[in-house]
Amino acid sequence: MKRSRTFRWVTLGLLGFYVIAPMAASIQFSLEAGYKGRLSLTAYSRAVAEPGLGTSLFTSVKVALGAMAITLVLLVPTVIFVNLRFPRWRAVLDAVSLLPLGVPAVVIVLGVLGAYKGLPSAITGTPVILALVYVVLAMPYSYRAIDAGVRSIDLHVLVDAGRSMGASWRKLFTRVLLPNLRSGILAAAFLTVALSLGEYAIASIMGFNTFPVWLVGVEGNDPYVAVALSIAALLLTWFLLVVLAFAGSGRRRRSSGAFGTGLVGVEAEVQSAAPSSVAIAMAGEESGGLV
Amino acid sequence: MTTTSATKGEQGVGDRSRGGVVVELVNCRRTYGKVQALDGFSITIAPGEFVALLGPSGCGKTTVLRAVAGLEQLDEGQVLVGGDDITAVPPHRRNLGMVFQAYSLFPNMNALENVAFGLEVRRMGTAQRRKRAGEVLELVGLATLAERYPHELSGGQQQRVALARALCVEPRLLLLDEPLSALDAKVRAQLRDEIRRIQLDLGITTLFVTHDQEEALSMADRVGVMRAGQLEQLGPPAEVYSSPATNFVAEFVGSVSRLPGVVVAPGSVDVLGSRLVIPASAGGDFGRGSHVDVLVRPESIRIRPEADGPAVVARAAFLGAVVRVVATLPDGVEVTSTLPASEGYTLPAGTRVGIELLGDVLFVVDRQRAS
Repeated sequence: MKRSRTFRWVTLGLLGFYVIAPMAASIQFSLEAGYKGRLSLTAYSRAVAEPGLGTSLFTSVKVALGAMAITLVLLVPTVIFVNLRFPRWRAVLDAVSLLPLGVPAVVIVLGVLGAYKGLPSAITGTPVILALVYVVLAMPYSYRAIDAGVRSIDLHVLVDAGRSMGASWRKLFTRVLLPNLRSGILAAAFLTVALSLGEYAIASIMGFNTFPVWLVGVEGNDPYVAVALSIAALLLTWFLLVVLAFAGSGRRRRSSGAFGTGLVGVEAEVQSAAPSSVAIAMAGEESGGLV
Repeated sequence: MTTTSATKGEQGVGDRSRGGVVVELVNCRRTYGKVQALDGFSITIAPGEFVALLGPSGCGKTTVLRAVAGLEQLDEGQVLVGGDDITAVPPHRRNLGMVFQAYSLFPNMNALENVAFGLEVRRMGTAQRRKRAGEVLELVGLATLAERYPHELSGGQQQRVALARALCVEPRLLLLDEPLSALDAKVRAQLRDEIRRIQLDLGITTLFVTHDQEEALSMADRVGVMRAGQLEQLGPPAEVYSSPATNFVAEFVGSVSRLPGVVVAPGSVDVLGSRLVIPASAGGDFGRGSHVDVLVRPESIRIRPEADGPAVVARAAFLGAVVRVVATLPDGVEVTSTLPASEGYTLPAGTRVGIELLGDVLFVVDRQRAS
């Protein structure tokens, strides 16, 4: 018993060190800003004054929110409908949703440009196209979050009960299904936003100046500012996660069972999706492998 | 074969019909792939009557209920409620109340909100629907738990709230889809009485589906026994139990011993040395010398210790007030009897016993057909 507890703490400690050490080093790097042993917020104040920050951040937020909206409008009814009427298709949907993980960014870009070339330039020539790409890119995570939420409730019984009570489909969606899928929907929304805010390769290839693309540009001039901004972005992402967890815990108090399932993997995903991870890694390489 | 006892059933309903409507299912058919779930199923339920559909898994009883609720489309046939043909009416426009086997309360709403949901859908004002929902919760004895969420309620309480939710909209018909099957025995017995009391108070026509014969026999005005999508028999519980229309009903409802016999004269059979009368309702005509299987209820068989008796007690099960004793004859035939507990105690396994038949033949079936 005692040995297993010790093993648990050691494992947790090692894992904590593995996660925290690079971040601690990044924070130290940004606070020292080239003056070893002297901590200051200089890099952070320079970051705020950096030209292009607002525009790129605004573009990223717009794209992320757009991708999130499209994801939810597209996936929530689809997953509910498939689970309700065509449960055998779940395996197909599951496999399709995984495809983006196996396709390189360049191929996705070429495919998207080819597929959407007939669309008006208001879509293909603006960040709207980026939002559409991110919907596909986030699908392995967003689909799973929503699907886990749907499977954690007794969908058929709730639908039958609602319908037999006289509820129309619209009423059923707004009053019964969506509130009970809240945690899954929030998780899907968060994952899509996090992934969209942090994506660099596709935005760069397609020539959009999103926050990560801008950040990499800044990093070439001032790595301390880039890392400071990365830390800020990481904290912002974590803040979003905490907000999500609190929003979900309100739901948990009211209902057992369904909560939490949609959040599977969110924390791990934050690490790879946050824009900070791109810039921290790059800045780390530039500054002699500090990170 | 189908026998109906509508007259008896309707007499039993009496003035309880005030809140109910007549319900008719006419020649209903439903197929799932190669499986015929309903095969020409027809039934008429009198206003205010409580009908239980009983049958083994897959016999189509839940399909009947879901077809009435509109949750299942029929391939053929009609559903009429209060004379209105609702076969093509979508479920949310049928104004029926349904309680499900699984706990079906909406987890995001407390008990009061769940009960008031049907009224909310019907756009009743907030104050008015809260008042009405409170009244119905009181009817099921849960007024004090109105603010609790489903996960804060026990299984029995959840099903009571579900019943209140179904009743709150004053439905034309109450549909109960095995609402007690997930509950423990004691709660099940309590809720069974409560459902029946409320149904009698409101006089609401009720269709109840169950595989538990004790529930069906104790609650319903009439019991319908289903098999392979068809109604084998419909009648008052006592009739279904004591005068089964078919071999299947005889064996499915209650327990029976299947004893070998020989017809010695028209309407007379020799079984284990006793000569018994075959009632007119107990099967077909058998010629003299026919080898038959005679179905006999445990309460019509008496087992008593006898040093040179023909059977040996194989096992005995204590059931509270009675003991169910199973004895084996030399040819391997098992005979089951229920005895008062005090008598049953004196018959441990291995005791040699004599068997006496008390004269009530339940059903007779041709031996060849039976085998």
